[in-house]
Amino acid sequence: MADGHTLDILAAIDMQVNAGEAVAILGPSGSGKSTLLGLLAGLDEPSTGRVTLLERDLGAMSEDDRAALRAGRVGFVFQSFQLLPGMTALENVALPLQIGGRDAAREQAAGLLAEVGLGERLDHLPRQLSGGEQQRVAVARAFAGEPEVLFADEPTGNLDADSGRRIMDLMFGLRDRIGCTLLLVTHDQQLAARCDRVIRLDGGRMQSAA
Amino acid sequence: MNHLFVPGQLRAAVRDPGLRLLFLAVLVAVAALTSVAFFADRVERALERQGAALLAADLVVEQGEPFDPAWLAQARTLGLAHARSVMFPSVVLANDQPLLVQIKAVEPAYPLRGRLRVDTPRGETGSVPADGEAWVEGRLRDRLGLVVGDTRVQVGDTDVLAAGILVDEPDRGGNLFQLAPRLMLNYADVERSGLLGPASRVRHRLLLAGEAGELAAMRDWLEPRLPPGSELADLANARPELRTAIERARRFLSLAALCASLLAGVAILLATRRYVDRALDGAAVLRTLGMSGAGVLRWHLWRLGWLALAACVAGALAGLFGQQALVVLLGNWFGEALPPPGVRPALVGLVFGVSMVIGFSVPTLLRVGRVPPLRVLRRELDAPGLAGWLVWLVAAAVFFGLIYWQVRDHRLAVGMALALAAAIVTLMLAGRLLLRLLMPLRRTGGSAALGLAALARYPQLTQLQLAGFGLGITLLLLLTVVRIDIIDTWQASLPAQAPNHFLINIQPEELPVLQALVEQRGIPHSGFHPTTRARLVAISGRPVDPESYASMRARRMATREYSLSFNAVMQSDNRILAGQWWDDGREGAAGFSVEEGIAESLGVKVGDALTFDVAGQVVSAPITSLRSVAWDSFNVNFFVVGSPAVAEGLPVAYLSSLYLDDESDGFAVELIRRFPAVSVLDLRPILQQVREIMERGALAVELVFLFTLVAAALVTVAAAQVSRDERAREVAVMRTLGASRRHLVRAVLAEFGLLGLIGGVLAAMLASVSGYLVAVELFNLPGRFGLTTWLLGIGAGTVVVALVGWLATRRLLAVPPMRVLNSG
Repeated sequence: MADGHTLDILAAIDMQVNAGEAVAILGPSGSGKSTLLGLLAGLDEPSTGRVTLLERDLGAMSEDDRAALRAGRVGFVFQSFQLLPGMTALENVALPLQIGGRDAAREQAAGLLAEVGLGERLDHLPRQLSGGEQQRVAVARAFAGEPEVLFADEPTGNLDADSGRRIMDLMFGLRDRIGCTLLLVTHDQQLAARCDRVIRLDGGRMQSAA
Repeated sequence: MNHLFVPGQLRAAVRDPGLRLLFLAVLVAVAALTSVAFFADRVERALERQGAALLAADLVVEQGEPFDPAWLAQARTLGLAHARSVMFPSVVLANDQPLLVQIKAVEPAYPLRGRLRVDTPRGETGSVPADGEAWVEGRLRDRLGLVVGDTRVQVGDTDVLAAGILVDEPDRGGNLFQLAPRLMLNYADVERSGLLGPASRVRHRLLLAGEAGELAAMRDWLEPRLPPGSELADLANARPELRTAIERARRFLSLAALCASLLAGVAILLATRRYVDRALDGAAVLRTLGMSGAGVLRWHLWRLGWLALAACVAGALAGLFGQQALVVLLGNWFGEALPPPGVRPALVGLVFGVSMVIGFSVPTLLRVGRVPPLRVLRRELDAPGLAGWLVWLVAAAVFFGLIYWQVRDHRLAVGMALALAAAIVTLMLAGRLLLRLLMPLRRTGGSAALGLAALARYPQLTQLQLAGFGLGITLLLLLTVVRIDIIDTWQASLPAQAPNHFLINIQPEELPVLQALVEQRGIPHSGFHPTTRARLVAISGRPVDPESYASMRARRMATREYSLSFNAVMQSDNRILAGQWWDDGREGAAGFSVEEGIAESLGVKVGDALTFDVAGQVVSAPITSLRSVAWDSFNVNFFVVGSPAVAEGLPVAYLSSLYLDDESDGFAVELIRRFPAVSVLDLRPILQQVREIMERGALAVELVFLFTLVAAALVTVAAAQVSRDERAREVAVMRTLGASRRHLVRAVLAEFGLLGLIGGVLAAMLASVSGYLVAVELFNLPGRFGLTTWLLGIGAGTVVVALVGWLATRRLLAVPPMRVLNSG
């Protein structure tokens, strides 16, 4: 709402992503990409319309049910990393495993951190890590539960080109290994090209699906 | 300059949660302090304004004996106005009910300064009662059911008509601790009443008024003639005991207000931290736009300054209401008409509030001016501030200054500062220990463990929260539970059949009949003790020189008259500390037994000879023993007891104490009827009134501590809010990762519940120890550790703090995670 008028952030979106598919949502700033991602992942609710995730209608579920659906089955990578500042790298990665009630969460998390090249930095707090390293922790956390769907919101947006490339290699490598569905929000054409399909968004509307 | 635009600044403050809290905290601190300051100021000004009226004269001589007629003649020669008055406690009888009153008989010229106000059926008058009439205080009329102009009151051998209600008498001063109501007579009636026996407790006053020169001449003439035990009072030293009492009350209430202020200070500090955390982004943008660091700081200082000013004004207004409640509770101790509240306390509040902001807020605010402009690009760049310890040191130093300013006593200020510092350090150290113990929990998974681990993740914040919660709970426990404990212990310490009536002034010829009557009725009594009024004149042959004693108590004992008793047998609650009682085959020998405290004050020991003047007769005997006395037994006890041999030939009256239960209550009336000269003092109303005074005093302190309660709540909210932004992000990330609402609520309850539990345990411990010390050291009561303190401290601490945590987090759970994650 702005000045009493209703503002449509997204409209006329009709899309489907199949299991195992990698889809990029491409568009300029303010086109509604991140909002769409939030809706698809059940992190926000649409004022109208219907979103289905893992064959469940998100609109019919409570926030707690949506959280339970995400637990262990959905992973996230954010542009601003979203690591918890008071927790070490290891604790951040172990968190989704602990929430999902998995055993040996810390051992698994340590293994994943070693895989992303941070085996020596387990006890470091986020502020003691560089941007690239923080995002690698975030990637490790996203894959910790071996999710069925991975949502990534501009994962390289806060990184230099070199670090960005390494993060994407890491992400796609891990995805190939576990075979999860990927939804990637980006404004980087080259990055989008690495996906199976690209959905273009402008002014909150779908322009095309390629 | 837009920073001068006040309404805008205040609007911004209302929008910012940190500043809102800061505003409330300053308001509470100022309100607590000004309510005490307004009250004390009104009472002090009432005293100043009354000035000479407090004495009812310009110069007053007070002593235990009637005045030499030559003194009156001298006053007349010098052209000074003069009037005599005499005061003593006695029991009067009306409508078959006895009541202990404070009788004051005055000559027609009374008062020489100030005004007497009496309501009579014929209207208001300022004159003294006529022969055969009496003015009575309102509460005397109420207790005895007097009808003014109709009921007659028996006073000793005579009776008088209750002719008017005494509204105000000038030299009553503060009626603080004056328990018995006043009955005012004409001077002529007192002589007829027969109550002025040689051994009765009478104070004679000679009031003098006139020009300064003549007064000085009278003073010079009087001074060499004053007998020991006489006191001269003028405006300079009018009612020092009342001034001391008021100053003590003010200090004590100020201490209570300062406790509230300290908590408010902690809330201010925490609120400023949150404000600065939120202000850094905007400050960084201002700096990239070209504003200097000093400029940014100035901008925020202006905002804070206006806010502090508004909070001080609001606080002073709240204080105005608070003081009115104090006046309702305590005002009638100080007379009815207090002057209206003045401006000075409001100014004191303003200075106090601004100082609080400077001490508790500004050091933290300095960070905002040091924000690196690069923060607009790299948000993790922090602004360097003063070191944490320095921020606390500045706050502590400013607060110590404020304590000193308010209590005007460096020992008390240092004592309070040390006690508070000890409490805070204990809480902080316990917090650190707790964190150590929680470290292993970081390795486990469950939601409760996650919440507990959250305490370990933010160690500084946990310590701060613990100090805030703990101090708040301690102060509240101390004031509520411990107070009740102490009053209960005091009451329990009174023996069940403690004497509740005193019989004073029994003449020797009445004794056999009276004693037989008491024994025949089987009424428990403490024996009949011969007493006389005596003045110490020499120790081992050397005249007593009051000036040679350093302590005021010794000086008083050396100059004042006091009761001397004679007994063959020692009271059962006494214990010989040195020498021997005279029942060891030396009954016939003359000797004195002296109470240990007095012996120490006067510097006398066994073997020294004491010489007393008893109504002109001189008696002398050696000290044969020193005794300890259990004063709280309510038995009849004396500082100095002489052997029966000393009493021979001295004018004595007898004294006893009785225990009358509800059935034998009428015996008191019977005694007064049959023995009009004997004063029967009913102690029950006095005990009741002492309890009321304690209760009212405690209520007044509790009223001030209400501010502490509010301040403690503010600290709790502030402590929860400091971490609110981080907590919001944490909740959003956890929800994104699939944590359920119940999981998060359990984590929060575990985190805050544990914080409250530890705070409650520590607070109960601190409150119990200080309560124990207060009981033992201050009130000489047996100390005890009440279970209630622990149950309430731990139970309420855990529940309340967990609830605050839940309330602070509840709203965060309702926000969709994406909105929080997108916000920064």
